[in-house]
Amino acid sequence: MKDIKIEVKDLSLYYGEKKALNDISMLIPSNKVTALIGPSGCGKSTFLRSINRMNDLIPSVKITGQMLVEGVDIYDKNVDVVNIRKKIGMVFQKSNPFPKSIYENIAYGPKINGMKNKTDLDEIVETSLRQAAIWEEVKDRLFDSAMGLSGGQQQRLCIARTLAVSPDIVLMDEPASALDPISTSKIEELVHELKEQYTIIIVTHNMQQAARTSDFTAFFYLGELIEIDKTKTIFTKPSKKQTEDYITGRFG
Amino acid sequence: MASHLEIELEKLKNVIVKINNLAENQVFEAVGILLSEPLSDKKQVKKTENKIDKLEVKIEDICQSIFALQQPVASDLRFIMSAMQISNEIERIGDLAMSMIKLNKNINSKYELVTKFNIEEIGREVEKIVIKTNVCFQNLDAEAIGEIYILNNSIKQKATAAVQNIIDDIKTNSKSIVSGMNLIMVLRNIERMGEHCTNIAESVYFMINAKVIKHEKHTDKNAEEE
Repeated sequence: MKDIKIEVKDLSLYYGEKKALNDISMLIPSNKVTALIGPSGCGKSTFLRSINRMNDLIPSVKITGQMLVEGVDIYDKNVDVVNIRKKIGMVFQKSNPFPKSIYENIAYGPKINGMKNKTDLDEIVETSLRQAAIWEEVKDRLFDSAMGLSGGQQQRLCIARTLAVSPDIVLMDEPASALDPISTSKIEELVHELKEQYTIIIVTHNMQQAARTSDFTAFFYLGELIEIDKTKTIFTKPSKKQTEDYITGRFG
Repeated sequence: MASHLEIELEKLKNVIVKINNLAENQVFEAVGILLSEPLSDKKQVKKTENKIDKLEVKIEDICQSIFALQQPVASDLRFIMSAMQISNEIERIGDLAMSMIKLNKNINSKYELVTKFNIEEIGREVEKIVIKTNVCFQNLDAEAIGEIYILNNSIKQKATAAVQNIIDDIKTNSKSIVSGMNLIMVLRNIERMGEHCTNIAESVYFMINAKVIKHEKHTDKNAEEE
């Protein structure tokens, strides 16, 4: 495959003595949506958090193997983990806007990174909110509290906040699981638009969502990567029986 | 902005329109040759047949993809189910047209026979029904469905009468057996084209009204009501 953004080589992760990820090797292409599916506890969210080193925050975690982002191993001791998390943004299952205004939610990241000019900040706020398909809904109330937005709007605000610091990669951990169908549909369409500019990796327990939104799908089971392929292939003729059994609902 | 599913459905519709147009051209070619006015050369006819076959496979692939990845429901689901059936019917119309073109070679004194057995009228009606069916699908035109049934009934009646006349002629003139039998097969192909067109119309009805009407008996009277 050409244009590979992330190369994972023999990655294993331990929570203390327990091995949660077992020798994962895979290639994640640039400017595509890769979905991670699998039953609860299979390691997909653990794997996702490995990509931006969020697992570092868990004291008992140990990682072996390599996670190469554009050829650089992000677990190398010389790598600046804060910069990693700027370049590899994350959107969580439960939206978590700051208890600030809509404007301040978006401007927070750029300000922390040293941006002070108001015109520049205004531009970033508008661009990010437009990219997250929420600008029209909030442009007249930018200084209202973000906590007053609906669940779907808050999630799109969180996506805008992630985009405001110009990441290359956006990780989404079940971004729509807490949302109603209309909001879910908006998030899915947004994912489809965003891949033009970003590499997106999305964890979802909703197989139909994975089928609708992604270009590639990786099936995890019991900490192992069973199969990764084009989404169309996974959902029409998967090569592994376990994958077939999972997507047809025979287990999981 | 159109959703991903809407884009795929539009793509599917465009491919069906394309295959429909190609099959229409094959029918015109077949009728044209029958009436001794061929429209294009053999290579072009063969190319068109290959294109039709490839497009049928492409349509199936698109439908499979949409079913697997988009979980269509309601009118979208009916559209895709119908699309698969329609493309199959169109491909059969294309095959029948090719078969007619081949049979034409074995019909001697074609012009005389065509005039004697009033074949031109039947040929023109099958051209009409194919055009009407194409428009019916493109515009989801419920009114056209009844007209298609009426045309099909007319084709059947005329073809049946012509076949009987040819058989009577063969009985009294054994030299005309080969040409006569080939002309009968051409007429049977024309009848089957009409049937495929009504099958397509029934699929369009299903798309519009979510009701299956195939295998129901269709007289001219209830065709007008539809």
